[in-house]
This record gives sequence, C-alpha cells and structure tokens, in this order.
Amino acid sequence: MKPLHEIRFTLNGEPREFLVSPDDKLLEVLRREGLTGAKHGCGTGSCGACTVILDGRAVYACLLYAFQAEGRSVETIEGIGGFDHPHPIQKALVEGGAVQCGFCTPGMVLSAKALLAGNPHPSDEELKVHMDGNLCRCTGYEKIEAALRRVIAAGGAR
Amino acid sequence: MKLEAFLIPEDVPSAKSALKRLGEKGFAMAGGTSLHFLAVSGKTAVDLSRLDLSGIRRKGGVFHVGATTTLDELMRDQGPGWVLDQVARHTSTQQIRNVSTLGGNLVRVFPWNDFPVALLALDATLCIEGVREKAYPADVYFDGQPFRLFEAGHLLTRVEVPALKRHQGFAYHKEVRLNAGFSLMTAAARVAVKAGRIAEVRLAAGAAISLPARLPRVEAALEGRPAGDARIEEAVATGASGLAWKGKEGMSDAYAAHLGRVVLADVLAAALRQAEGA
Repeated sequence: MKPLHEIRFTLNGEPREFLVSPDDKLLEVLRREGLTGAKHGCGTGSCGACTVILDGRAVYACLLYAFQAEGRSVETIEGIGGFDHPHPIQKALVEGGAVQCGFCTPGMVLSAKALLAGNPHPSDEELKVHMDGNLCRCTGYEKIEAALRRVIAAGGAR
Repeated sequence: MKLEAFLIPEDVPSAKSALKRLGEKGFAMAGGTSLHFLAVSGKTAVDLSRLDLSGIRRKGGVFHVGATTTLDELMRDQGPGWVLDQVARHTSTQQIRNVSTLGGNLVRVFPWNDFPVALLALDATLCIEGVREKAYPADVYFDGQPFRLFEAGHLLTRVEVPALKRHQGFAYHKEVRLNAGFSLMTAAARVAVKAGRIAEVRLAAGAAISLPARLPRVEAALEGRPAGDARIEEAVATGASGLAWKGKEGMSDAYAAHLGRVVLADVLAAALRQAEGA
C-alpha cells in the first residue's frame, strides 16, 4: 500500500486537509467526502459530469490528481447553491426545463459559472466554446443554452 | 499512469534537481492530462505547474511562450501576428484547455498532438534548460521523439514563436470525427508572398503520419510560383505522394491519403489568401 500524503486546499471556501494516495484523483477525494455532486461519468475527461472549479477555472476532477489541488481553491456544486438558496444558474436551468435526468447538470452549472465569472457577457461562440466540455444525453442542449442566455441577460451570473 | 509519489517543487532549480535525482523514476508534469494515456507505473510526478514557466511575452518580432502556459491562455488574442489561438481553440474541451499546457503537447509527441504541426510551420524554436539553455529549431526538435533531446533534470522552458509578418499567411486545420476528438489529420501552413510570387512555404502535417513532419517536396513545388497560379493541388498531389498515410477510427489508409491531400491543399490555399491580403 502506498503511503498517504497530507494535502491542503480550500474547498467551497473552507481550508481543508486530506490524506491522499499519490494516485488518487480529485474526483475520488471529493466523493469520499460526501460531495457527490461531481459525478463519475466517463472517467476519461470527455463528458464533463465531474466538472469542478479549480482556482476559478472549470476542470475535470476525474483527470486531475488530488495533489494538483494542493494550495489551490476548489468549488463543487454543493458550494455554490442548493434547494433553499439556488444559484441563479441552477434556478434558470430548472425553470427553463433544461434538466431531465440531471446527471450532467452540476457540471453544466459549474462550467457556466466559471465562464461568466470571467466573462459576464460572452458571445454565442464564446458560450459554445466554453461549454464544449459538458455533454448531455437528454436535453439536446437548446434549453440549457437558452437558460444560460437568460442568466446572462439578467446579469445574475454571480 | 499509476504514480508512486509526487513532488511539488517551489522553483525551477529545485524541479531540475529533483528530476535529475529521480532519473528514470521521475516524471515532469504540468496539467497532467496526457498521463491518462501513458501505461506506465512506479513514477514520481514532479509538478511544474506552480513554477514561473508560464506566460506570453513579445520581444521584437517573436512571442516567448512559457512551457507551462495553458491552452486557454494561448486561445486569447496576444496582438498582431499571434496565430496559436487558431490551434488552441480546436484542442479538446475547455476543461482540458484550462489545465493542459503547451509544453505538455511538445515533450511527448502523440500522433494526435496539435502544436508540433503548427510550430513546424511557424519555424518556432524550442528551448530546453539543463545546466545551460539549448535552443532547438522545430525542424530539429521534431525530427524524432523529442524526449531523445532531454537528459534527467532537463526541462522545456519556453517556445519562441515568430509573429506572423505582413505578406505572410498562416492556416491550421484539424480533421476530427467528434468536436473534441483526437485529430485524424492535422495540417498547418505558413506562406510568404513577395512581388506577386510565393517566396516561402512551410507546410507540416500530423496525426495521419507517424510523427509530425514537414513536406519539403510540396514546399519546393510551390516556392517561386506566381501567387495567382500556384497550382496547389498539383503540388500536393505530386509532393505528398509516397507518404505513409495511416487511417484511424475505421478510416482506410487510402482514404487517409485522400483526406491528407484535401486538407493540405486547404491550408495552403487559406495561408496564401491571407499572405496576399485577400
């Protein structure tokens, strides 16, 4: 058994410590902590269901080793909103009928949040480019895009 | 890749020293996204992502691009003559572009890597730092797997990319089956036009051949020709014949060769149009 190493990173705004194996992926560490909003979809960095925000940028937690988060800031879907206080993006997707099975939704929300934090008014092309790493098998994407456009128009991406 | 251990050095000398000490057991990584494709184990990862090796600075007519600059940063407009945004935009997905680095695309060349093809066309220079820095023209660097140029403790630190000048044009094309899929055929061309004639052509291909490479016979067939009568398809047909094209994902080798000719002609035509100011 490989020795465990202590790593520290800020998780949803709180400084945290974790004991990890060198091989542990960030996704495994998060889900072990009960943060199961990031999903194991493809496991190969293609589908986006595992998306989290690392230092403000959307990343695939299934590809990143946990140690790559050392000293950095990680946001998961649990940290940005919930049933009682949904994030504007979550609210828009639900109200816009853009959630069917919901498996891709956390990743979609986080990718959109990361984009809009840095670029509150993306063009259509920029939105497509920055969301190109999140796949949805249910909705056909149009309602997701429409919901995001409403968030952008309302200026309520934060 | 199964890792045995990891190190997070604080500076470049520490990183080089760690890699030298680890030898074959050490493994330099930045974004680490390509590790998924490496079936090796027992290595110690040396994380370069926090070192001062990222950023893009223009010095005269050359962009100096740090090796750990992410593809997301490459996607941004860096001013006149910057063209690598065309390559970065078509590489994988945003989540990958946010962590993948230019250096990671260059130290181990997989057939589908995008940037070697572009850098060959752009006549870039790649700088490896050991005890001293050594600068390799792209033609030399990519004349084989690049890791042959590295000894333990050596790091790729930056890439020098000439800014595109007036009367030069650049085009890049990647043929994929899925939007974020691996390339089936990649081509890049830089063309210069002077006094109505094609003064210089640098044409490179990848993915459908074993290693990214320039196509000197096509280049020679075009150089000196009138820009308005370049006969690109003819040059590609004769100059690219004999290449060992390899089809992927169900594509036959014969179709790969056909696709190669089409894509090569397309990038040459696009680069020529830009050079002419069209």
